Amino acid sequence: MSYHSSSHSSNNLHLAHRLSYGPSPSLVAELNAAGPGTWIEQQLNPAVVDDRVCDAYLARYPRLKWTIPQVRAAYAAGGGWEMMEMLGSAHLLRAAWSKRQLFEVMVDFWSNHLNVSLNNGDVWDNRHDYDRNVIRKYTFGKYSDLLWASVNHPAMMRYLNNADSTKDSPNENYGRELLELHTVGVDGGYNEVDMHTSALVLTGFGVHDVWRPANQVQDPKNGLFEYFPDDHWTGPVTVMGWSSPNATGVGGYAVAQSYVSYLAHHPATALRLATKLVRRFVSDDPVPVLANYLAQIYLANDTAILPVLRALFASRQFRSTTTMKVKRPMEDLVSSLRALSILPDPGTGTDGLLALWWESDTLGHQPMTWAQPDGFPDVATSWQSTNGTLERWNLHMALAGQWWPVSNDPKNPMLQAPLRNTYLPSPLPATHGALIDALAQRVLFQPVSATGRDAVCTFLGKTAASPLKATDPAVTYRLAYVIALLLDSVHHAMR
Amino acid sequence: MRRTTTADRTDGCGCPGHDSGAGPSGRGFSRRSFLKRGAAVAAATSLTGTQLATQLAFASSPAYAGDTVVVLSFRGGFDGLSVVVPRGDANFAALRPNIRVPDAALLSTGDSRFGLHPGLAPLLPFWQAGTFGAVHAVGQDNPSRSHFEAMEEMERAAPGSSLRTGWIDRLLTTRGQGTSFQGCQVGSTSVSSAFIGPSPELGMYRIDDFNLSGSSSSTDLAAWDAALRGLNTGAPTVVGDPVATTLGALAQTGALTDAGYTEANGAVYDTNSDLAMSLRDVARLIKANIGLQMAAVDYGDWDMHSGLAVGTLDPSQGWMFDKMTELAGALAAFYTDLGPTLMAKTTLITLSEFGRRVEENGSHGVDHGHGNAVLLMGGGIVGGQVHGVWPGLSDSALNDGDLDVRTDYRNLLGEILVKRCGAGSVGSVFPGLTYTPIGIAHP
Repeated sequence: MSYHSSSHSSNNLHLAHRLSYGPSPSLVAELNAAGPGTWIEQQLNPAVVDDRVCDAYLARYPRLKWTIPQVRAAYAAGGGWEMMEMLGSAHLLRAAWSKRQLFEVMVDFWSNHLNVSLNNGDVWDNRHDYDRNVIRKYTFGKYSDLLWASVNHPAMMRYLNNADSTKDSPNENYGRELLELHTVGVDGGYNEVDMHTSALVLTGFGVHDVWRPANQVQDPKNGLFEYFPDDHWTGPVTVMGWSSPNATGVGGYAVAQSYVSYLAHHPATALRLATKLVRRFVSDDPVPVLANYLAQIYLANDTAILPVLRALFASRQFRSTTTMKVKRPMEDLVSSLRALSILPDPGTGTDGLLALWWESDTLGHQPMTWAQPDGFPDVATSWQSTNGTLERWNLHMALAGQWWPVSNDPKNPMLQAPLRNTYLPSPLPATHGALIDALAQRVLFQPVSATGRDAVCTFLGKTAASPLKATDPAVTYRLAYVIALLLDSVHHAMR
Repeated sequence: MRRTTTADRTDGCGCPGHDSGAGPSGRGFSRRSFLKRGAAVAAATSLTGTQLATQLAFASSPAYAGDTVVVLSFRGGFDGLSVVVPRGDANFAALRPNIRVPDAALLSTGDSRFGLHPGLAPLLPFWQAGTFGAVHAVGQDNPSRSHFEAMEEMERAAPGSSLRTGWIDRLLTTRGQGTSFQGCQVGSTSVSSAFIGPSPELGMYRIDDFNLSGSSSSTDLAAWDAALRGLNTGAPTVVGDPVATTLGALAQTGALTDAGYTEANGAVYDTNSDLAMSLRDVARLIKANIGLQMAAVDYGDWDMHSGLAVGTLDPSQGWMFDKMTELAGALAAFYTDLGPTLMAKTTLITLSEFGRRVEENGSHGVDHGHGNAVLLMGGGIVGGQVHGVWPGLSDSALNDGDLDVRTDYRNLLGEILVKRCGAGSVGSVFPGLTYTPIGIAHP
């Protein structure tokens, strides 16, 4: 079978596929220069990776650094959805152009695992803060810290209705999802009573929201996380192997902290996170032996993530996997940008970047907008659809044809693409077959199958042996179609 | 006071919008189907003459003559108690002091036990004509109140077994290969997990949007088709199958788009409603007679942990009211557009992973529950009544505070398959089910 990673001429391509959002000419050059071991270590230590170019792009979104009260004040009269568009654009921008690729891959991973839907009206003022101060702050830290930070954030409290949950009228949503999705999982050993108790332990964790008439100055703490002792249910609580007398409302904050720490350190949590990581980086069918091994590393390192990743990438299973993963739609989008060396709008423009955000919606994989708290699925069987296939092909045509969301028109610039003839080998090869092979190496970073090469030649009305001239349609007005077709191949669909 | 106002909706464990119809995180499975075109032919070449004839007879599917079934998935936990309201149950008022529909506002079902939410007024004529009905106290055996677990189990529909396929996939497998449109998710980019399995299915957001850029004619499309197949030769099934299905469907939808569409019988679809426009496309596919057998449409955003109604005893506004208005308008337009002849061959059923708690919570909402109401539409259903066994809402009758389940939803689907779709048995679609029809469909 041709589509296993063992057919790749270099391990570097495998690393680019798994630890980044896709190869680009510059990434391949960096990998070749540094060597895989050094490159992996750099990616695990992003502070040593110079990311000033991407930081300059991000300077187009200064509001993402605002506090929650600043956002609330600025958008008091409406329009807060702009924050959603900016955060979404920035997420894709970083995926496409940050040099700290592994960090961005993991930001996306945690954004799904501790999902808070961006397009939910209840988090309009705080989802950007959740991204910065919860997800990104702890992506390479300890899971226990990441999880506790999410418990203490107004975005999560609103998204899962915990802000409405009180001792008199508990709302079970967050108590359930904390167990089922964020930690031990459905098979983790809890029952319906535990789930209800979980909700009780978390009562009181909410959001400051004091109403004042519109013609008055609003309470400056509105929208911020707050713990309300009077709303906390008191009495002995037990969830699986954890218990507490939970005697007072004031003491309830520390009780919940103890509970969440117990969950973060639970072996079922360790195994569940390890399995998810193996699914993300190795295979849709995680090998239990590797997941078990990584779970032990997680527990031995007090839930730190970097040692787990380091062990994963050093593992035999990762290095010798012969199963390729299928790119999810957003991964196809970003990898296509990288493969074609497309860049953001010139100057301080954001229209092209915003168009990327809406394109990801059309593809059915708009980051942070999966409504359910379990996040986007990470197995190919969940994504296969005819509409998804068609949208990806149409996207490839748009990028190769340099149509929306690409535009080099100085009056209405969007994403910037290089001149199409820069994708061509120089000098031009003698035959159409050799041209297709060279273009495959350029945009796919690997050979295309002989059948595929011949199919493209037939599409052009040629054969592989047909001579090639500089005026032929294949290198002029049909070049965009050739590039689009190569991106439509199984080679680009897999990683 | 710190309590937040919940005039807007929190859908924290909410339902997917139009682009995220697939629920579960998925599990790997191996895709092997003895009915795959290539495999069937390859197997046949090693057989003797008589055996060969038999194999080929099995491999070719007889023309399907049963109903088109539309499965309308209410993702997020539909609150059936707000829609098919147990007006006659003495316990109900105390458990829903604020958010229930008051008796005077209910539409009559002809059954003193139940009334319908007033938002369903456009469907009342269908109820009275017997083409719109309901079943109550329906659900799954496993009383999970987790969206993901309940939804996966509902669409897998094989509790107690290790099967990883969805029930619609198993159904289509029993029928043998149909056209590209045999099983279709309409209005959503990703398909319901009820389709998981070897049978190929189509997913499209809109018919008119389903075309290939770069190709501007059918000659063009043929050239692209050949190139795309060549570039995906030998792809793993999970990539290759959608490639083949997409190319076949493109040819068909191109023809439909060129032909345009005019609604029949004065039907008017709300162009701002995703649900209405999805059902409009289902109607187009039905009328095109291109082999649509099972259509799946998602209609989510039901997770009313708060804000189900606004104020006290006022069903005329709020989340549920808005959903009922949209739903009734879309269903009425769909069946008006189809007309009586096609309506007689189109059965629609609503499914949701669970109902919601009988007792309201502190946020004018209800948390996850168990038993639920199912809605049925079509010429072949026994409408104008609320089917099923009503267990009541007394303390002893409730299941951990929830409406009990007295009818397994698989029996409803099974009855539709047997009586409306010509299925001999439903044992391979719903393994382990003791099939017990309750009289929701005419044979």
